[in-house]
Amino acid sequence: MSAVITRRRAVGDTPRIVYRAAGDRHVLVEYGELALDLELNFYVTAVAAALAARRVAGLVEAAPGFRSLLLHYEPTLIGRDALVDVLEDVHGAQPPVRSLTLPSRRITLPIAFDDSESRESVRRYATTIRQDAPNVQDGSNIDYIVEYNGLGGREDLYATITGTEWWNAYTGFFPGLPFMYPLDPRNALTVPKYNPTRTWTAEGAVGIGGPCVAIYPVASPGGYQLFGRTVPVYDVLGRHDVFRGDPLLLRPGDRVRFLRVSEDQLLAARRDVLENRYEYMIEDDPFPVADHQARMDAVRDEAAALRAERDAAAARTEVP
Amino acid sequence: MSGTQAVFDVVSPGLQTLVQDHPGRRGLQSKGFFPAGPVDPVSFRIANALVGNAADAAALEIPMGRLTVRVLADTAIAVTGASGAEPTLNGTPVPLWQTVPVRAGDEVVCPTVKGPGFRLYLAVAGGVDVPLVLGSRATYTMGGIGGVEGRALAKGDVLRAHRVAAPAPLRVPDALRPVMTNTWEIEVMRGPHADPDFLTEADWRDLVGREWKVDLNSNRVGTRLNAHRFTWSRSSGGVAGGHPSNILDGSYPIGGVNTNGDVPVILGPDGPTAGGFTVVATVVQAGLWKVGQLRPGRDTIRFREVDLDEALALAERLDYTTDARHYEEL
Repeated sequence: MSAVITRRRAVGDTPRIVYRAAGDRHVLVEYGELALDLELNFYVTAVAAALAARRVAGLVEAAPGFRSLLLHYEPTLIGRDALVDVLEDVHGAQPPVRSLTLPSRRITLPIAFDDSESRESVRRYATTIRQDAPNVQDGSNIDYIVEYNGLGGREDLYATITGTEWWNAYTGFFPGLPFMYPLDPRNALTVPKYNPTRTWTAEGAVGIGGPCVAIYPVASPGGYQLFGRTVPVYDVLGRHDVFRGDPLLLRPGDRVRFLRVSEDQLLAARRDVLENRYEYMIEDDPFPVADHQARMDAVRDEAAALRAERDAAAARTEVP
Repeated sequence: MSGTQAVFDVVSPGLQTLVQDHPGRRGLQSKGFFPAGPVDPVSFRIANALVGNAADAAALEIPMGRLTVRVLADTAIAVTGASGAEPTLNGTPVPLWQTVPVRAGDEVVCPTVKGPGFRLYLAVAGGVDVPLVLGSRATYTMGGIGGVEGRALAKGDVLRAHRVAAPAPLRVPDALRPVMTNTWEIEVMRGPHADPDFLTEADWRDLVGREWKVDLNSNRVGTRLNAHRFTWSRSSGGVAGGHPSNILDGSYPIGGVNTNGDVPVILGPDGPTAGGFTVVATVVQAGLWKVGQLRPGRDTIRFREVDLDEALALAERLDYTTDARHYEEL
């Protein structure tokens, strides 16, 4: 019994597609190669929207990932083969990604690097789960991220985080958690995740796992290497006006820019959020894919050189 | 009859007693919400059926037992789930798996669950009345929503239920009751990330051939199994991370066997909706209830691979056991 239902080769503007069984209620559709290629995510975003517009009977939901869609279906209403046929149809009708302008907002969030709550998350892990892990030495994950990427030091890491916009490719893990990737490829870092994972992470902690930066919307388990903390991005009680109507701050396709603040400033901002006095910095700014491609082309060589340096550093570094 | 009435005063809340409904919050995974709902949906649905409730009525999930409530109205209840936990009504034992009429002033005690099995379910006629949050009454512990203020029951909570006519007393025939054990066989389908692209063929045989221990650190978010090093058919996750279990992040299926580095975790109803680890196997719908009855720190699992047809046939059989038309009248 194979997990792969069927495969499709890349044709024209359509990437390679693999359909995988994920139990008897889900099909995982994977696009393209295992590469940090945001255009795959732009494609996923467009397919998810097209599927939602079709209102397929028996399809409960299509939940996106970086380069995948997880289809939740009701097998008494639609068979697995029929579901795959619907997807084939949608893929066939997709316009080229480079012709799209995606709805997007720019959201600026304050960040305190190496704050006490993310250090506490690391400390609890080292105390109760795994003390000898290479990523938790000195009660912080920061030096490990620096070493794994061959960066010049902590300040170099902080500048890399604040020096690009982060594309929210999709939302998940726990309610409202953004999975974000750097729009400037020169700022692309990568780091292995925890092994095994933490059972507790502070709400608001910011971390990186693989190439992806995430904000923890609630206190929760987690596997990303933590480097700082920001303001709340989720509140189901709607204590701040920004969460009225939708408990999630960040939507897929939003871009986050981090602004460095001290921990005292961050704690003051967090108090202001609870008292509905904080002003979230949000501006509408649609995202033409073609413009992004032009910027990518301009820095492609520089980004490739940096990637080679970082890969070399990674090869010298122990994996948890 | 209409409206609601107070039915239970919580005297002793137990470890983490939660208001749940089935199938919980569906269709919100893309916003990061797993469905919540009962970890053992079969025992849960049977409890509801025994008191004449609609399938979407809310009831209580009681891990480990230790719940005491004072009854505040003449109504009917049913307790189902783990073995070795005979509840009492005013000190007199009452059996699981049948309708139990109760009167205002009664005291219902669910004692410590000795097992096999781990969770009890207590349904009350009319269904527990708590506000709908995003379309469901289920308590989602990680998001802090649903149920009673998004939390476990506390001493002094008063639960209300919809006022309904007394249901006909029923009993679930022995043959239709879920069978509890300490050594479980759980049905899975291979993948989505199995052999040959991620695991080796030998890894897969290992996964379904070995006995796995259920870690003490297991809950509604996930059931952790013992650490185990697979060989893997690739040396690293490449750009997704150094460990071969790392992938570019994607959405997870409920019941997915998620390899967190070297620790497999079965994703529970409050689990993470997405992440960057491979899911090497997926517990099929008909096998999910067993995950809810695994006793942390004690039970063991063997996985049995099934194909899609068998998975769907098993699910159909479970639908039969949760249908009150197949129960005995008392």
